[in-house]
Amino acid sequence: MAMDINRQHRFKTRIGAALRHITLFIAMSIICIPGLWIVLNSFRPTVDIMAKPPVWVPRGLNLDNYRAMFGGAGEGGVPVVQYFTNSLIISVTSTVIAILIGMAGGYAFARYRFRGKSAIFIGLLLTRAVPGVALSLPLFIVMAKTGLIDTHVGLIMVYVAMNVPFTIWLIDGFFRQVPPDLAEAAEIDGCTRWQAFWKVEFPVAKSGVASAGIFAFLTSWNEYALASQLTRSTFSKTMPVGLRDFTSEFTINWGGMCALAVLMIIPALILTFLVQKHLIAGLTFGGVKG
Amino acid sequence: MKNPLKSLLAVTTCLSMGAVLPAAAGEFDGMTVEAKLIGGQQYEGLYGRIGEWEASTGATVKIVSKKNHFELDKEFKSDLAAGTTSWCVGSNHSSFAPQYPSLYTDLTPFMDSGEVAGFVPAMISASTVAGKLVMLPRAQFDVSVLYYQKSLYEDDAKKAAFKTEYGYDLAPPATLDQFKDQAIFFADPPNFYGTQYAGKDEGASGRFYEMVVANGGKMFNDDWTPGFNSDAGKEALGWFVDLYKAGAVPPGTTSYLWDELGAGFASGTIALNLDWPGWSGYFNDPESSKAAGDVGLVVQPMGSAGIHTGWSGHHGFSVTEKCPTPEAAASLVAFLTSEASQIAESAGGSLPTRTAVWEHVVKAAEGDEFRSQALNVFKEGATHAFPVPKTPYWIEASNLIYPELQAAILGDKTVDQALQDAADAVDEMMQENGVY
Amino acid sequence: MSKIKLPTWFVLILPAILILVAVVLIPLLLSLYSSFTPYRLTRPDSLYKWIGTYNYEKAAKSWVFWSAFGRTVLLLTIALNLEMLLGLGLALLVSRVTRGQRALRTVMMFPMMFSPILVGFQFKFIFNDNVGLVNNALQSLGLTTAAIPWLVDQKLAMFSIIFAEVWSSTSVFAILILAGLFAIPKDPLEAAKVDGCTPWQTFRHITLPFLMPFIYIALAIRSLDVARAYDIVNIMTNGGPARRTELLWTLIGRTGYVDAKMGYANAMGYVSIFMAIFFTIFFFKKLSAARAELGMGG
Repeated sequence: MAMDINRQHRFKTRIGAALRHITLFIAMSIICIPGLWIVLNSFRPTVDIMAKPPVWVPRGLNLDNYRAMFGGAGEGGVPVVQYFTNSLIISVTSTVIAILIGMAGGYAFARYRFRGKSAIFIGLLLTRAVPGVALSLPLFIVMAKTGLIDTHVGLIMVYVAMNVPFTIWLIDGFFRQVPPDLAEAAEIDGCTRWQAFWKVEFPVAKSGVASAGIFAFLTSWNEYALASQLTRSTFSKTMPVGLRDFTSEFTINWGGMCALAVLMIIPALILTFLVQKHLIAGLTFGGVKG
Repeated sequence: MKNPLKSLLAVTTCLSMGAVLPAAAGEFDGMTVEAKLIGGQQYEGLYGRIGEWEASTGATVKIVSKKNHFELDKEFKSDLAAGTTSWCVGSNHSSFAPQYPSLYTDLTPFMDSGEVAGFVPAMISASTVAGKLVMLPRAQFDVSVLYYQKSLYEDDAKKAAFKTEYGYDLAPPATLDQFKDQAIFFADPPNFYGTQYAGKDEGASGRFYEMVVANGGKMFNDDWTPGFNSDAGKEALGWFVDLYKAGAVPPGTTSYLWDELGAGFASGTIALNLDWPGWSGYFNDPESSKAAGDVGLVVQPMGSAGIHTGWSGHHGFSVTEKCPTPEAAASLVAFLTSEASQIAESAGGSLPTRTAVWEHVVKAAEGDEFRSQALNVFKEGATHAFPVPKTPYWIEASNLIYPELQAAILGDKTVDQALQDAADAVDEMMQENGVY
Repeated sequence: MSKIKLPTWFVLILPAILILVAVVLIPLLLSLYSSFTPYRLTRPDSLYKWIGTYNYEKAAKSWVFWSAFGRTVLLLTIALNLEMLLGLGLALLVSRVTRGQRALRTVMMFPMMFSPILVGFQFKFIFNDNVGLVNNALQSLGLTTAAIPWLVDQKLAMFSIIFAEVWSSTSVFAILILAGLFAIPKDPLEAAKVDGCTPWQTFRHITLPFLMPFIYIALAIRSLDVARAYDIVNIMTNGGPARRTELLWTLIGRTGYVDAKMGYANAMGYVSIFMAIFFTIFFFKKLSAARAELGMGG
């Protein structure tokens, strides 16, 4: 009798595992297929993409779309390198600044008590509730008057403002996790508050900082509404704006659009993969435990 | 050594162009002219000539923005709001120009007396807003003619079947009713459709507009109250609705705009296509179109009042009021719309806006049967052309009208209800803007 | 001995407050002011005319506005719930996998790397009735002979938009919940197993309550971020056809930028802001309650 129950149980477990794997596979497919479709199409000429009846097996993959993009004006070229560089500079800088401000703010919320703490905290979060489309024109007017249109600085400031609430929140949760005794012990040993912070509390906070960082980076890298309003020329245009411009300019050039899209995704993909390890740890400790 | 070289370049340029250039060589040395131009493959060719102007005048052109007209329009509006209108040259279009009366300056003082006369008079009149000549037309004139697949009309079996069913001979349609009959006849969804049409934005409103006129009605009465809620309007809207109901147009046509329509005809799945002249080269090119070699053109059909459709527009360039170097800017604009520039640009397939260039283009096409035939049709089509209603609220009215058109086409509302709602909305908008 | 007169916490928070005031608050006040004027972009002088609550009254009386509002709330409710459930399921599945976790997590986060406009173009292309992937696939497999108008039909268009939105954001939920799953202390789970609870009971009474704070955080984050959907919808349908997919943001965007009626658009925008604020506060309160229940300080 015992053998049968064991066998039954093993059977059920295996079915369970199989079902789980199948479901996971289907879910992952749904997630990946649109992206893979884009990647595939970036290697096909637009005529094939639009072909009816549809051409399922690509007749030949080539890098034409990519080559055309890097070509000069008049051949379907777009200043891809500049868009890419702008995006990189703006996203990285705004992420770093947002993290610094986030650490300062998060520390304050975690370690100090003061009146109106909740109110200020919620207030900070709520600034994120403003949709870009409602904000972009007044922001444009203000920035035009202060000469910040079409500059890196202008856009960096905006993205920092967009990211600060979330970084503060995450890092705050994180610092709460670190027992204050550690820092106090270090201070008793002769460190100043400042030194204690960097030596003791920060290393423990690394994961939280990493996860806040990746969210901030992705937000800045992918943002479109504000960027399109606040940039004017290739001096400061970012990749999402470049993509939209490209599709406005060459509306039925799906192949080119896919190539541009792939270029946009690659850095985000690489960065995410690198930061994976810290991400879960950071979110776990920082997000919830108080 | 620089100056003699520049003079030599200038003289050579002048000689080769043979046109009257308002700018003398080196006149604008060191100046920078900022430009916001329309982007797109069919417009790129002309911009290659900018280098010549730069060389001959010593100025530099900085292209600050390159987008399609809708995006440019939004950018201009933002600029107006923020007061950042000190860039100099902007791409303009006869449909959009009436919206910004304060943005652009009158070009007449910058032109030589004979200059303006070289353009087709109707274009100049469409480029005049509130008494100011706000733009000079470039060689991008648009009026839609009817493209069709020739093989369908040479097929005996189809000819016989059509005659039996409809009672008249099968030939490219001369009226909107014939257009509708034939589109329904040819349709074989989902693989082949009789026709297609612009289903949204100004495209839909514009097509509706020209059908209303063709049926003898008008979009606005003289006092600018809406006038399309009339028999002519109902007939026009009914044309779109009937085609959709009969399945003669692709079901996604309500989201289609010019590029989808162009791609649609080029994919060989559309029988009849009312479309712009700039597509003729694309449609007949085997590299890009499955219908190449099978493309026929005929002048656009007439409505029930015996009037041909003919919604038209043209592109051009304007100079802003706040430009710090208006002479340089005006010179650039004149250069880009000069006879030589128009000859160069129309070689790519677009239609010119200068009378002399028309003749040149027709002569140059002799020997290319398709192009000659196409040009003849375009020329005839242009005689029926008319611009959008000249009100600064055309775009805003269009945004209120097209959702109602869509509602009727999709069957959400009856034709009468849709037109009534559209008229009410436009009426309210006009009153709000203080028109009456 | 600190000689600084300002309290330390204030100095630490100051940069955050400064940047937010400059970038968000001031423009917000400007647009609040303009919602009381008939401000038109093409006539900048109209900014100086005060018309009181005319714009708000107009919005309140506008059927177009309220149907867009209702549709937006509907979209958000459905999308958020779906994202939560799917994210939960996905996280549960991924947490059980032993090998290749890191790669799997990266793949799971794939949609987060797509800019919203890219998502919009991608799905506009995929759902295209003529050459889109979905229709081509269905026709090739012989499941249908019609060209299904994904972006035109009333229900299908909303479905397509919701699909795009859910595709784009489920990962956020999934990754946050996954983090939560890793954080659950092992002891209660093992105790439950020993006591003979079924997997479902374990899940319902132990796992789920621990996850609630994470879920609320994700919900709060998503409500804040929800305006990203604007880019997606703008590109896929722009509120059409016939206003079938008109959401608050597409209406505001078009009224403000294309019709140039900024004053009116801002009035409508404020209503949308209040809605977002409501959602956020709602979820935040729930989060605090859940934290308190779990005994975590907040």
